[in-house]
Amino acid sequence: MESTRNKLIELLANNQDDYISGQVLSDKLKISRSGIWKHMKELEKDGYTIEGKSKKGYRILDYPDKLSENTLQWGLNTKWIGKTIIHKQSIPSTQIIAHQVALEGASHGTVVIADEQTMGKGRMNRHWHSGKGKGIWLSILVRPDILPYQAPQLTLLTATVLADVLRTCTTVAPLIKWPNDILINNKKTAGILTEMQAEQDRIQYVVIGIGLNVNQTKSDMPEDIGHRATSLQMETNKHWQLRELVQNILTTFENTYDSYMENGFPEIKDKWESFGFKIGESISIKTMRDKWDATFLGIAADGALLTKATDGTTKKLYSAEIDWFKEGEN
Amino acid sequence: MLKIEEIREIIALIDQSSINEFTYETEGTSVSLKKSSEPTVAQHEKIIAPIDHTQVATPTVQQPSANGEQTEQPVVESEVAYDYEIVSPMVGTLYAASSPEKDAFVSQGSKVTNDTVVCIVEAMKLFNEIEAEVTGEIVEVLVEDGELVEYGQPLFRVKKN
Repeated sequence: MESTRNKLIELLANNQDDYISGQVLSDKLKISRSGIWKHMKELEKDGYTIEGKSKKGYRILDYPDKLSENTLQWGLNTKWIGKTIIHKQSIPSTQIIAHQVALEGASHGTVVIADEQTMGKGRMNRHWHSGKGKGIWLSILVRPDILPYQAPQLTLLTATVLADVLRTCTTVAPLIKWPNDILINNKKTAGILTEMQAEQDRIQYVVIGIGLNVNQTKSDMPEDIGHRATSLQMETNKHWQLRELVQNILTTFENTYDSYMENGFPEIKDKWESFGFKIGESISIKTMRDKWDATFLGIAADGALLTKATDGTTKKLYSAEIDWFKEGEN
Repeated sequence: MLKIEEIREIIALIDQSSINEFTYETEGTSVSLKKSSEPTVAQHEKIIAPIDHTQVATPTVQQPSANGEQTEQPVVESEVAYDYEIVSPMVGTLYAASSPEKDAFVSQGSKVTNDTVVCIVEAMKLFNEIEAEVTGEIVEVLVEDGELVEYGQPLFRVKKN
C-alpha cells in the first residue's frame, strides 16, 4: 500500500501542471479506479489538496507543510537517502529510534524524523529543546566503508551541509563553530550529534543526528539558553517551511557524502574553512589537565582543530572544551 | 626448614626486586613475605614465629633452588592475568559513563559480553561506543574518565571466558 501511495504521489508530482486521468493512474498503478479514489482521500487526510475534475482527472494543487513519509518523499530526488523515512509525531529522540532500526538491519540512508522530541539528545545526554513543528529533528543512518578513525570527519561534513543549505535557501550567513555547531550572528542555530557503532577496523553504522531551530520565537526559547541560541525565524522574521528545508538537507547531504567517499576530505576541509568561525582569532582551550589560550589556525587535513599557542608551538586537537566566547562557558 | 640467614637472604633479594609478595610452603611450613610501607623487619618477625614451631625436616640444600623458582612465580602473580586488551579505535576523549552523573559502564570485575559497551571515545563530536568484542571479565581498567586516548591505546584488560 505504502509504495503504491508513493508512486501515486510521484505521478501527480511529475504532472503538476496538468491533470492526469483516473484511467492512466489506474493502469500505471495496476489498481482499480475506486482504489485510486480511496488513495486520494487518504492523501487529503495527510494535508494534500487534490483537485479532481470529471473527464480531466486529478491534479495536486498543494502539499502539506506537515511532515510525513509521503510529503517528505514527494519530490525528493535522491539515489539512496530517504528511501526509507520513519516519521513520528512525538518520540523521545530520533537518535534512539535510529539506533534501534540500525541494529535491526535498516539500510544505508534511512532517515528518522519527528515533529517533536520529548527527550532530545545533546552530547553527553544534555537535553536538546525540540518543540513540536518548531524545528527539524532528524537522524540519518549511514553505513560508510571507511575506517572508524576517519568517521569524525562525517560530523564536519554534516556541518558543511547544514551551512550550505542555510546559505542557499535562506538569507542568513551561517558560520560553523568547530567541529559542528551552526551559528548565526554568534548564536547557535543547529547542533549535530554523531554516534557510531564500530569494531576496531570496521564501522557497523553511524547515526548522524541533526537539530535545527527553525520557527521558534523568542518566547519558545528556554531562558537559560536564550542568550546563546537562536532560530531561523528569529533571525529573519519569517516563517520557514520545514519540508523544503528537510529535502534540501537530504539532497545536499547525499551529494556531499558521495563526493567525500570518492574524493576524500580535502573538499570538505575547504568548504568547512570557508564557514569557519573565529579562524585566525584567539580562543581558550581546556582539557582535563590543562587550560591555555591559542590562535585558531583552521582545521588539519583530517579535520582536527589546529592551534598555535603563545609560545609559537602548533597543536592538533581532536577533543577539547573550547571557550569560543571567552565567557567561561562553551 | 628455612634458617634465619636464608630468610634474611630472601628478604634482601625481594627488597631489590619488583616482587611485592612471596609465599613459600613445604610440609606444613609456610613463609609469606609482603612488601609494604611498613619496615620489612616487622614482617620478618611474624614470619619467624611459625618457623620456630616447626620440626627440623626440610633439607636446607633445596632452599636456594626453591628460592630461585619462587622469585619468578610472584612476578607472574603480581601482574593481572589477562588475555585480551580492548584498544581505542581512534584518538579522542574517553568517557567512562553515558553522562557525568551516571555510573561507569564497567569497572574492574565487570562481566562483559561481545556487545557490552565499555566506554565512549569522542573525537570532533562523534561519539563512538566501544564494545568489549569478547566475553569475559574486566580485570584491569587502564584509563580514567575524561582522559585523552590515542589510536590503538589499550583501555581495558579482559580475562576471556
